[in-house]
Amino acid sequence: MSAAQKVENPLLDKNLVNAFVDGVKKTLSTMAMTESTPKKAFVERDFKAKGEVSGMIGMVAGNMRGTITISFEKPSIFKILENMLGEPYSEINEEVRDAVGELTNMIYGTAKTALNEMGYAFEMAIPTVITGSHEITSYHKGAALVIPFSMDDNLQFFIEITVE
Amino acid sequence: MFSPDTRFLVVDDFATMRKIIKKVLAELGYTNVEEADDGQTALPKIKEAHKEGNPFGFVVSDWNMPGMTGIDLLRAVRADESLKATPFMLVTAESEQKNVVEAVQAGVNDYVVKPFNAATIKAKFEAIYNRLNKAA
Repeated sequence: MSAAQKVENPLLDKNLVNAFVDGVKKTLSTMAMTESTPKKAFVERDFKAKGEVSGMIGMVAGNMRGTITISFEKPSIFKILENMLGEPYSEINEEVRDAVGELTNMIYGTAKTALNEMGYAFEMAIPTVITGSHEITSYHKGAALVIPFSMDDNLQFFIEITVE
Repeated sequence: MFSPDTRFLVVDDFATMRKIIKKVLAELGYTNVEEADDGQTALPKIKEAHKEGNPFGFVVSDWNMPGMTGIDLLRAVRADESLKATPFMLVTAESEQKNVVEAVQAGVNDYVVKPFNAATIKAKFEAIYNRLNKAA
């Protein structure tokens, strides 16, 4: 492809949103044998990470700066890690934080690869893991696109995409 | 296929990924597995093991690590006359063509892109084993 594809409004960019949805589904089904289904996305004015443990990555593609956050409630992440590592988890400890960082890394890497094959120019970045209830209101200007995902046993988690 | 006694070294800065790879190796019947958290700690282990006459029969390493990256570790192994035949597989989230070329030029035996499962790893091991034995 000749020039890097421009990201005009990433929250409305179907390629970008689909790449992250596919990245989540593929990562969880391959690594953790966990099937997940995206639900109806919505836009939120004030970004609030939804779960009790979140992995966040700063996205850089050309002039675009944004974040992708994947947020899990405790029962969801414990179930995923039990499937992935073969051990039960009952508290958010260093091991859980490390695993959330690695999952975030894989999801971003999968999406980035798909997007760059389409001509985008996403760069690799390092994830940050946040725990506890958290609101990040000053991090960005604009809105957040929230995509809830459901898993078996009525469990759920969220991805949240923000752009500056 | 590689013998079940094969001594593996798993190199990754994320404890979770080391655990996942160890779990996959155990599923494939490999339990003689040691760990290192980056290239800088892995290289002396590889050298030491060779000196002691109990060399690693396979290195599985992440690409992106602080300290010393996986590809630099691979280059260091390939540059050492006594270690250069060690089978070496890189694990990474990067799958663009430029990375594949770089890894092949550095002498990687194969390359696995995250996310992966046990079946993928098994197929890679078989392919590496067959290539090495055909070449021998």
